[in-house]
Amino acid sequence: MSTTVRAPKAYRPGLFTRLADGLRSSYGIGQWSWLIHRVTGLGILLFLVVHIIDTFFVVAYPGLYDHTVSLYGGRVPWILDAQGNPVYFAPLRWAFRLSELALIACVLFHSLNGVRVALVDLTPRGALFQKQMFGWVLGLFIVIMLIVCYFVLVPLFHPPVFWNFPTEAVGPPPSAP
Amino acid sequence: MRVSGLVLVFLALGHLCITHILNNVEVINYAFVAERWANPRTGVLWRLWDLTMINLAVLHGFNGLRQILYEWIVRPGARKLVGTLIWSACIGLIGIGSYAILNFRKDEDYLRRFREANPPAVTEPSLVDTTIPAPPALATIPSLVP
Repeated sequence: MSTTVRAPKAYRPGLFTRLADGLRSSYGIGQWSWLIHRVTGLGILLFLVVHIIDTFFVVAYPGLYDHTVSLYGGRVPWILDAQGNPVYFAPLRWAFRLSELALIACVLFHSLNGVRVALVDLTPRGALFQKQMFGWVLGLFIVIMLIVCYFVLVPLFHPPVFWNFPTEAVGPPPSAP
Repeated sequence: MRVSGLVLVFLALGHLCITHILNNVEVINYAFVAERWANPRTGVLWRLWDLTMINLAVLHGFNGLRQILYEWIVRPGARKLVGTLIWSACIGLIGIGSYAILNFRKDEDYLRRFREANPPAVTEPSLVDTTIPAPPALATIPSLVP
């Protein structure tokens, strides 16, 4: 178990250079797990904000919620056909499916690596095993993601599920003359 | 961060498992959410799950964002501004999330219109005709007709 300690680099100005040099420093596995943990966390936070707002539509306006989630199935809620249903656009369905897979991957990695970080922090000898634990994190991540990929990607090869959207509520029926 | 993270491992992964693997984003709609949250027996449990998850997730996420930003922003005044903005966003999101979960009530009118727009699928006619033929009408039997 030998670690290479590089000589400190001369400081060069410029944001790109600083970022690139930072990424090429020799902190080893811990640096990469730290970076991925951070990026996945920010990605999940971005989705969380969107998800809380779209779930708010459930209470505020049920029809808007249905139109919003129809986007996940590849339908474009702001372009309606003659029956008032959103039109279907296959590439959108693929894009949302793959983003969904990326989201699950982010959450899964963040969870597994978070457990590793907690073990390193909270157990007295955890830091000695951080490399082995990262191996476990990667192994579990790949195994679980293969299973998840099957369940998430297989529906893409079946025809999409279409809901008809109810027409707008009309007012009270006109009273008889 | 450690405690909320460890609780969220179970809550968030369970939530993802239910919505993306056991179900599918294409079949989730208002009726699905209403069935979960307004269920007379298990609705309370689902709401409790979602409420815990939303509070912990927002706190955990925004606290992480604050830690990242504090590494880059070091002037005390700027930190105060960033912290204020982050905690305001936190309170706002927890507010609308909790409002949605606690104040949810089934919109029966919308559900009825949704069911009218999506009638249950008609089953395929069977090859073997199992229906009992109707008895002949009385008027077709000659002896009874005067």
